[in-house]
Amino acid sequence: MAQIALATGFVLILAGLYGALTNRDILRMIVAFTIADTGVNVVLVAVGYMPGRTAPILDAAVPVAVASQRIIDPVPQALVLTAIVIGLGITALMLAYAYRLFRLRHSLDISNFTELKW
Amino acid sequence: MVSPVLIIAIGLGTAFALGLLGSTRKTLLFGVTLAALAAMATISLIWLVALATGATETAEIHTAGVAPPFAINLRVGIAEAALLATVTLTGLLAALSLRAQLLTLGRGGMAVLLVLVMAISGLVMTRDLFNIFVFIELVAIATAGLVLLSEDTRAVCAGFKFLVVSQIIAILLLVGIIFTYHANGSLNIDDIGATPVAAQGAALAMFLLLIALVIELKPFPANGWALDIYTSAHPGFSAIFSAATGSAALFVVDKVVAPAGAEWLPLLTGIGLLSFVGSNVVALRQDNDRRLLGYSSVGQLGLVLAVIGQRDVLGDAYLYVAGGLVLSHAVAKAGLFWMSAILRGRKLQDWAAIRARAPMVLAFATFIAMLVGLPPFPGFYAKWDLAQALVAAGRLPVLGLILLGVLIEAAYLFRWFGFAIKREAPESGLSANMVDCGITFAAVAGGWALGWIWGAIPGQHNVLATLPVLAVVAFIALEPLPAKLKNVLAIAALLGWFALVYGDYDPMRLIFAVVMIPGGAVILLASFSETGRRIGFYPSAMAMYAGLALLLEANTFFEFFAAWEVMTLGSYFLILRGRMSEPHALSYMLFSLGGAFALLAGFALASGGVQPFALDQLGTVTAELAPWVFVLLAIGFMTKTAAMGLHIWLPGAHAEAETDVSPMVSGILLKAGLFGLFVMLMQLGRQSLWGVDLTVVLAWIGAISAFLGAVLSIFQEDAKRLLAYSSISQMGYALFGVALMNHLGWLLAMMFVINHYVYKSMLFLAVGGVYKRTHTKLMYQMGGLITLMPFTFVSVLVGIIAMSGVPPLSGFGGRWIFYNAIMDADLRLPLILIFMAGPIGFLYLFRLIHTIFLGQLKDPHRQLKEAPFWLVLPQMIFAAFLIAFAVLPGMALQRVDGYIGSIFGDQPLIWQGRAITSEFGYWNPVAIMVVIAVVFVAVFLILIAKNHDAQKVKQFNIVFSAERPYRPETTHFAWNFFAPYRKAMGILETPVVTSFWGGVTDGVNGAAEFTRRFYTGNGQTYAAHVLLFVVAVYLIAMGGVA
Amino acid sequence: MIRKVVIGLMVALLGVAFWTLTSGYVPDAELNRTAAYYAANAESEVGAPNIVTGIIVTWRGLDTLGEVTVLFLTSAIIALVLSQSKTPKGASGAGLLPSGELLVTGARMLAPLIALFGAYVIMNGHLTPGGGFQGGAILASGVLLSLLAEPSRRFGHTVIARIESFSGTFYVLVGLAGMAYAGGFLDNGILPLGRFGTMLSAGAIPLISILIGLKVGAEFSSILESLHETEDA
Repeated sequence: MAQIALATGFVLILAGLYGALTNRDILRMIVAFTIADTGVNVVLVAVGYMPGRTAPILDAAVPVAVASQRIIDPVPQALVLTAIVIGLGITALMLAYAYRLFRLRHSLDISNFTELKW
Repeated sequence: MVSPVLIIAIGLGTAFALGLLGSTRKTLLFGVTLAALAAMATISLIWLVALATGATETAEIHTAGVAPPFAINLRVGIAEAALLATVTLTGLLAALSLRAQLLTLGRGGMAVLLVLVMAISGLVMTRDLFNIFVFIELVAIATAGLVLLSEDTRAVCAGFKFLVVSQIIAILLLVGIIFTYHANGSLNIDDIGATPVAAQGAALAMFLLLIALVIELKPFPANGWALDIYTSAHPGFSAIFSAATGSAALFVVDKVVAPAGAEWLPLLTGIGLLSFVGSNVVALRQDNDRRLLGYSSVGQLGLVLAVIGQRDVLGDAYLYVAGGLVLSHAVAKAGLFWMSAILRGRKLQDWAAIRARAPMVLAFATFIAMLVGLPPFPGFYAKWDLAQALVAAGRLPVLGLILLGVLIEAAYLFRWFGFAIKREAPESGLSANMVDCGITFAAVAGGWALGWIWGAIPGQHNVLATLPVLAVVAFIALEPLPAKLKNVLAIAALLGWFALVYGDYDPMRLIFAVVMIPGGAVILLASFSETGRRIGFYPSAMAMYAGLALLLEANTFFEFFAAWEVMTLGSYFLILRGRMSEPHALSYMLFSLGGAFALLAGFALASGGVQPFALDQLGTVTAELAPWVFVLLAIGFMTKTAAMGLHIWLPGAHAEAETDVSPMVSGILLKAGLFGLFVMLMQLGRQSLWGVDLTVVLAWIGAISAFLGAVLSIFQEDAKRLLAYSSISQMGYALFGVALMNHLGWLLAMMFVINHYVYKSMLFLAVGGVYKRTHTKLMYQMGGLITLMPFTFVSVLVGIIAMSGVPPLSGFGGRWIFYNAIMDADLRLPLILIFMAGPIGFLYLFRLIHTIFLGQLKDPHRQLKEAPFWLVLPQMIFAAFLIAFAVLPGMALQRVDGYIGSIFGDQPLIWQGRAITSEFGYWNPVAIMVVIAVVFVAVFLILIAKNHDAQKVKQFNIVFSAERPYRPETTHFAWNFFAPYRKAMGILETPVVTSFWGGVTDGVNGAAEFTRRFYTGNGQTYAAHVLLFVVAVYLIAMGGVA
Repeated sequence: MIRKVVIGLMVALLGVAFWTLTSGYVPDAELNRTAAYYAANAESEVGAPNIVTGIIVTWRGLDTLGEVTVLFLTSAIIALVLSQSKTPKGASGAGLLPSGELLVTGARMLAPLIALFGAYVIMNGHLTPGGGFQGGAILASGVLLSLLAEPSRRFGHTVIARIESFSGTFYVLVGLAGMAYAGGFLDNGILPLGRFGTMLSAGAIPLISILIGLKVGAEFSSILESLHETEDA
């Protein structure tokens, strides 16, 4: 079960990377990266998953005394939240950049932006 | 003590709070930003000082009131404090550099800058893996924001390429972090290190983590994205990107590799070396200043990464070495970027604009010396300790590659410096203002302070604290004074130093000391002919003399090497002053550095890492290492004496130098190599490698140099080049003498030390005087100057008599000892070469006096006057000395002879009154002088008596008698003077050596040109490079594991 | 074509590395030492039933502060990136058809509800799934709705900027207060932990959640504003 989630995440990452490196259109690259980011997030939560356990919230069903036998690992959940927000920030930034690049040359083909080289 | 968390809190709090101040009062906002950065820097400095002085212990800061590994913790030790200080100060100065942009954009830009500095500081302090990721992303986003402050629209493209690669890094990093967490059950670096696990996938997770962090270091060749940022971003920001971000990223790799384990170190070493050498090679073909700095930055990061890979063998020296390199790089690179803000043009040649401003040149020189690792800067100490540790651990290939990389880096940096000093300055190429200049000089001051600190650390020899080097610094401060006054001070300094030290020297050292120190003072007399302030001359000259003085003082390998480098640096600046000397000074520098690196490796091999290692312990080296030490040191010293094969720098460097510089670098500086050879042979003695006696090899090289140097000399048209090639020949004699390894051979070499100094200085001054009047060095354009410049004529006459070794002058004494010496030795074959070099030497000397002073006077020269008094005066002193030395050779040589006797345990010469007797005959200088005088006077009288028979020949009498000349100089009898000999011996003139070194240069440049096509400018391709790099390293690493 | 093959090959090789990770992956049977500590001490140390919130706000509070900063940076930079291409005031959206009455009214009705829901999610962050980020995003979605429904409407940049600055600064100050009055930077123990499982408990966590919620909402709104004002291209 855990392997399936992991494998899904990795496939998303690979697909995203392949897309980002083969599509010349900047917007498509950005979309591909968001797919890869999603894959990373899936991998993150999959690693914290433990079969047969519940969410890490202490309540009547999960008293403190037995919490460590009942709940899944809360750390990856905390990490994924941060990772999601950071991914979102970078995606937003890339979109803003894409806008500027388009204004610069009225094109979104990344192979048109190569004045800086060698 | 204030908590270091405040660095983060102040940075972040101010960034947030800027919005409360409103967006219209931009000056106020900027002031608050600066105040916040200053406060962050102050906290860092307080901690740095407290930790360095031992006033406090390494601070462990827990957040959330919970101990690690359960909450994020921060640490501030000495390394962290030093980096924090670097980061925050760079941020503060960069804010000043970016002031125009920040004031235009308002609070957004300022907040981003504050967050960037805060995030880099956090990256330095945190001990938590995921927290590292958060700070890395903050740095990446802030970078993408600040790149936009550039006026260059291309920066937008660069920022996007950067973001694409950041995404890939983030993906790898997160996957690595989560699997490391899974394997270790912890995110805390120290906790991971403390609890080893064997979980499957842990190694792969660590690989992903490390490779992501390594890509942050922009490793060659997966770094096109970073170079574009360097090229297009505002230099104020590039300084942060290079100095602060780069150093922090290195520190993160260092932090993470500690728990990862030593098995990762070879991988880091490999990537680091590839990056260092590769980036430097590609940088050779750059002509954009900022892109060049970018390549240099990624190269330096690679160097430090390679040093991190050596942490297992560096032990206690690790922080000292890595810190020295990182801080040198940070200060110098930040300084250079800030300086580039003052320059309007972006070509390397445009830096010529700084030439008119001496402080700028000083700043540029400081930064370049810091990057190359020359004394007195931290990189120099680091390089030394690194070499010791690497050799002790048997990692010679690593040392070799590092030194190769440094040499290539020196090549383009010093070429650039040459452009700045020698190329035509563009019109209004500077946009200097107080702030930009101020921050540049803050970096300069920081560099010198670091040099002092690195030297002052216990157990080190502080180069800056020695009297001669302090004198150099004083002369830098005295630059505004007029040249004549500085000249008086310089002469006084040299004589004063000599008075201070001469009592301590053995006779042999004393001879060298006399030639180098008071000898230098005599040559400085010629410098009185210069007017104005002569900016740059005195610090350079005094640096060279300081190096020479310290060389004689040196007791340990380190002191010797430091002195050697100071001398090299000073003489480079001196040579560079010549009008046409730009390429020659560069080749001088590169050969000198190459030679110095051979010395460095030789010393390290000899000491086996034990520091300090006394020079006179050199003899205790084990038998299997000794021949290799011999080879390395001999190569180093022969580079300085310009032995054939390593000589191609000399003719240009000596011939194109200024009139009073040529005698310094020829008459004095060449002796440093001889001194080194003496020191080495005295300790190591004869050594053989694969059954070949290495001293015989040296003798052969000496003989070939003596012979070929003379042959090349006779075909020169340029008088100073003729003298320069003659120096190669003369040094060949001396090398041969030293290599004979017998008493008379050494005495001969000592004789050459004195003689060559005197007559070569004299001839260079004489030819320099002629050049000053005729404005040409080409001999066929001169003639008949005997009546106009009689004193100069006399000194050339005396000089060539002395040099050619005919009686009665001191050259003859040299020859006499020489013949006795070779009869003692059994090297017959090289002996023939040496014999043949004698008459060939006579040919070029004859040409010198004949072509310049005899024959027809040229029309433009009819009004010439004698050379300036101050040029003639030292020549006359030298002439008087030559005559006195010829009559009384014992005054200098007798004590040396006794001293050498005490080394070899024999006494082949008997000094009796005025006569000297050897096994093979005797030499009475006084009698010879009398005989020659009688013969000369007799012939002279006959000539006068028959003077009326002479017939005057008009100048054009012979010229058009045959065919029509196709070039004006071919009409002159002195052009191609020795054409018949050229027909016979021209084959010896084939520039084999020059072609060889030319081939090396072309090869490296070709590789650079080929490699840089790799950087296509396409952001997607760059991302593919990164992925390819990851996959390639993965395959190599897995191959290494399997 | 060659390019695609080469990149495909590289991605495949990376896939091999990932496959090694996947095939060797064994889920933990027990909580590891870090997670076990959190499970055991959530009540006594942070007083938050939602352990994830406890981790985010307190134990890994520095990450969260960084995360808030990421949004802050992004919004500041987007404003910088787009400021050069801003359309003249008032011109934006002028060319669009006026939104229908139905849409405007519906949006105006929904917006306060969305805001209320956001506030609820923020306030209960330490008790149930949710928290400052989630709630902040919900708040911003209200702004998004209003922007979409009434393109010509302008929000007060100043107000948003003030909220943004105030909540951020105050967050840092709360963190510093932890240093002064409790165990360290960002320690939630500056306020009493209260009774476990009630609204006003878990020390400073609800306060920090509110600040995060306000900050996130303001940052998102500001990003949306910036994007909105550049719709001319």
